[in-house]
Amino acid sequence: MRQFFGIFGNLSEVTVGSSKPLAGLLLEILPPLPAFLEEYEQLLAMITACGIFVGVVPLIPLVLVLAERKVSAFIQDRTGPMRVGPWGILQTLADGVKLLFKEDLIPPYGDRVLFRLAPYIIVCFSLAAFVAIPFGAIDLGDERYVFIVSNLNIGIFYILAVSSVIVIGIIMAGWASNSKWSLLGSLRSAAQMVSYEIPVGLSILSVIMVVQTLNMQGIVDQQDGGLHSWLIFRTPFSFIAFFVFFISAIAEVNRTPFDLPEAESELVAGFHTEYSGMRFALFFIAEYANMFAVCAIAVTLFLGGWQGVLPGIDILGGLPGFVFKTLFLVFVMMWIRWTLPRLRVDQLMNLCWKYLIPVSFFNILGVGIWMLIFGADTMDMKSLGPSLVVIVIAVFILLKQVFKGVSGTKRETTPVPSS
Amino acid sequence: MVGYISNIYVGVYTVLVGMVITFKQMFKPRVTHQYPYQYEFERKDNYREIPIGNRGQLHNRVEDCIVCNKCAQICPVDCIYIDSRKPSGGRGAKLWESMNVVHLKDRKQIIGIVEGDTKKIEPDTEITINQTVPTGQTRKVSSNDVDRIVERKKVTFYMDRFDIDMALCMYCGLCTEVCPTECLTMVDTLQGIEYSEFDRANLNYSFVKPELYK
Ligand code: SF4
Ligand code: SF4
Repeated sequence: MRQFFGIFGNLSEVTVGSSKPLAGLLLEILPPLPAFLEEYEQLLAMITACGIFVGVVPLIPLVLVLAERKVSAFIQDRTGPMRVGPWGILQTLADGVKLLFKEDLIPPYGDRVLFRLAPYIIVCFSLAAFVAIPFGAIDLGDERYVFIVSNLNIGIFYILAVSSVIVIGIIMAGWASNSKWSLLGSLRSAAQMVSYEIPVGLSILSVIMVVQTLNMQGIVDQQDGGLHSWLIFRTPFSFIAFFVFFISAIAEVNRTPFDLPEAESELVAGFHTEYSGMRFALFFIAEYANMFAVCAIAVTLFLGGWQGVLPGIDILGGLPGFVFKTLFLVFVMMWIRWTLPRLRVDQLMNLCWKYLIPVSFFNILGVGIWMLIFGADTMDMKSLGPSLVVIVIAVFILLKQVFKGVSGTKRETTPVPSS
Repeated sequence: MVGYISNIYVGVYTVLVGMVITFKQMFKPRVTHQYPYQYEFERKDNYREIPIGNRGQLHNRVEDCIVCNKCAQICPVDCIYIDSRKPSGGRGAKLWESMNVVHLKDRKQIIGIVEGDTKKIEPDTEITINQTVPTGQTRKVSSNDVDRIVERKKVTFYMDRFDIDMALCMYCGLCTEVCPTECLTMVDTLQGIEYSEFDRANLNYSFVKPELYK
């Protein structure tokens, strides 16, 4: 027994630089355990750290669903939910309670076991991604404790791996429902997620080339010292890579304009058409937790993680800063959802294979060249100057065009024909 | 190749244009009316037009009701309850004599005796009314302002009870058609449609005014 748990022995000790994961912090601040538990204290600390995340993460959808409804309402000049609680803030809670009490239907002739299993698989693996994301840090004494359950050396690789398993849950849900809409939705989802893994992986690769580590906390450590050291600005190609990553991330969490798996007008609700009650709610939790997770990954990889905006001053740093940046990206996702119409299946695949993947290959090449010329992989920011120049010029040209476009779309009043 | 790159460029900037437009939209004022809460707003200028001929809550102007019981008899669901009693003066005793009620188009009414033919109203003529309430005055109104002239019949009954159970009513409107004095009408303002209650007993409207028959 002891040998078995021994493998957990130093999990709370894995250090990168001088940082320790959350379990180490718990061992530090919680009172000592009774003697007979002492040999398991590492394990218990790990389980507690996991428990904190498992307890907090399902609350994220509670906030995000309401935020989504409010954002959509504001964009469409509506008010959104207003009745339950002040300003409608308890609406999601009420919906959740309602779903808890709904009948749990299982379609006849479906595969009962797979049907019951599918939502759990999806939720488990969406939550699993949170294990390797550093949410913030706290300095106690001369040790730095990072809010991360497990500071895996292969952090980002692990996240990519577990988030790909979700697609199995989706196919299980679609197959076990014994419904044409569910099956079509899940197959679409599988095709989409498998295709968009590639640009996600490639754009992450262009970051990994710069930081030269897979460890999430290691990546954050390299972005220490303010806005200018964020990886998005390190080379002009990582600037492009950020957008490639973000677009593919939207596609990977199946959100509009890439929400073909649950296209209401064609497939009723896609792979969760046949689900009801709490199982349906689990899909919702998974969807919004996923959304939060990909945004958190984008923040960690490109936008400095929990590091602050200005060097030396702790503005927008730590846990609140990280959550703020992540929620901002989530907001952008919602904003895109209520701006763009849904793509067709062929357009979706076109975008991935003909545009995103070549662009990411081009990025990798570009980052390599940039590293050779300017040394982007070092912390001394030699590469920053030229890359900022390129980025600013590109953004300037684009924004000029955008504002021309915006002012060009003023509503034209058709003159009333005079009789 | 140039086409490919310009395709990407156009794609990116048109998406951004769309996003700028939706972002601006976020700060425009809301158009939703929080209807039961923003009550006054709805009331203003009869914001919600009630169409003519709307079937809503029933109202009885009991001053004109002659307690003929026709409405209670024709009601298909028997939701009008009328109790009446004769005055003590024996046969022929009246509570009041017949007269006319002139309904103006601005929903005001003048009670009095109209000179001339009350069945036909010619446009652009003057109608002279010898008012009875308050007594002794003569008023002249243009017939363009007059909606209709109703005869207020002699009242020969005390009204002890006039209840309409609106929870039972099916809004067929038959009672309003048979009413000889046109005193039983359906309310065509906002009030005619907003009368939901939590207790069904509150939907039983009582219109009787005992002080009228002293
Ligand atoms: S409108 Fe109502 S009260 Fe009048 S007759 Fe019809 S059901 Fe009876
Ligand atoms: S029909 Fe008209 S006048 Fe006769 S009792 Fe009914 S409301 Fe009164």
